Amino acid sequence: MKTLIYSLAFSLLFLAACSNNGNKTQTAATSEATSTKAVVSENLEKGTSTAAILRSYLKLKNAFTIDNDKDAAAAGNEMVTAFASFDKKSLTPEQDKAYTDIYDDAKEHAEHIGANVGNIAHQREHFDMLSKDMYDLVKLLGTKQPLYVDHCPMYNNDKGAIWLSETKDIKNPYLGKAMPTCGTVKEELK
Amino acid sequence: MKGIKKILLGILVIVVVIQFIHPARNKSGQAMPNDISKIVAMPEDVQGILKKACYDCHSNNTEYPWYTNIQPMHWFMNYHIISGKEELNFNEFGTYTPRRQQSKLRSIENSLKDGTMPLSSYTLIQRNAILSEVEKSQIINWVQNSKDSLTKKYN
Repeated sequence: MKTLIYSLAFSLLFLAACSNNGNKTQTAATSEATSTKAVVSENLEKGTSTAAILRSYLKLKNAFTIDNDKDAAAAGNEMVTAFASFDKKSLTPEQDKAYTDIYDDAKEHAEHIGANVGNIAHQREHFDMLSKDMYDLVKLLGTKQPLYVDHCPMYNNDKGAIWLSETKDIKNPYLGKAMPTCGTVKEELK
Repeated sequence: MKGIKKILLGILVIVVVIQFIHPARNKSGQAMPNDISKIVAMPEDVQGILKKACYDCHSNNTEYPWYTNIQPMHWFMNYHIISGKEELNFNEFGTYTPRRQQSKLRSIENSLKDGTMPLSSYTLIQRNAILSEVEKSQIINWVQNSKDSLTKKYN
């Protein structure tokens, strides 16, 4: 009898621990959401400027040029926040549609880069797709900061890939330290 | 000695008790207007490969292997299904924006080439989900054709 009571108590404890765990993660998630919101309203003014998004993108790009997966992940997460603080209100309906298409895709790439510390090859795959999104975003909404569109002919089995840069000098984010100066300037965005 | 016995018995009771917990199954008998086959051409052989190796976690219908009737295997499976569907759901492909559809196709190709998909923890038990080189190149070919047809469609 005593054993039965013990084991019942034990299993109840186990179940309680399980459900408790669920609650904890939920609270953690909510508090995280609130804190992100707070950060957003403090640091970033809501606006239709793409400056914050581009700033985090360039940070990401620079992390890749020195093969730093951790900084890349941090910049990826920063980018998710920057996207969240972007205000679509002043966009025209056509712009809104194009922006939503870009945003849906780009946000996911940024999230994946943020979640893949230790797998820089995978982070770079997403960076390739993200860079195309950023190019289209700048084409759509413009940029105050002049940007260079660079092209790396070797990445992705010689299929090539583009990236945006704030400097005219080539610093290749796809090949990193292995081939830092590989690539050419294709276009200037102003 | 008595203490160890009690603990073992306790564990046994837990194992028995959790067998009675059955989470909802990932099964949908509904029509799928947003299925990927409505968006791009889907040859039968490709569909067959996707079904046996991908759809358990990336669609609204899972073929539950026998061992998922035993807990905690069902929970593990459910966790994989939830995260898998969040990442890519072939049955909801039509709801993605054009750009995202392209990215998803490319990610399918990348993960096959990198060997990250199907998950090794999944193929460990689901041996028939291991893809041969021929099957892989069939999927990659299909991905490339689909990307081209989408590019034509939206531009």
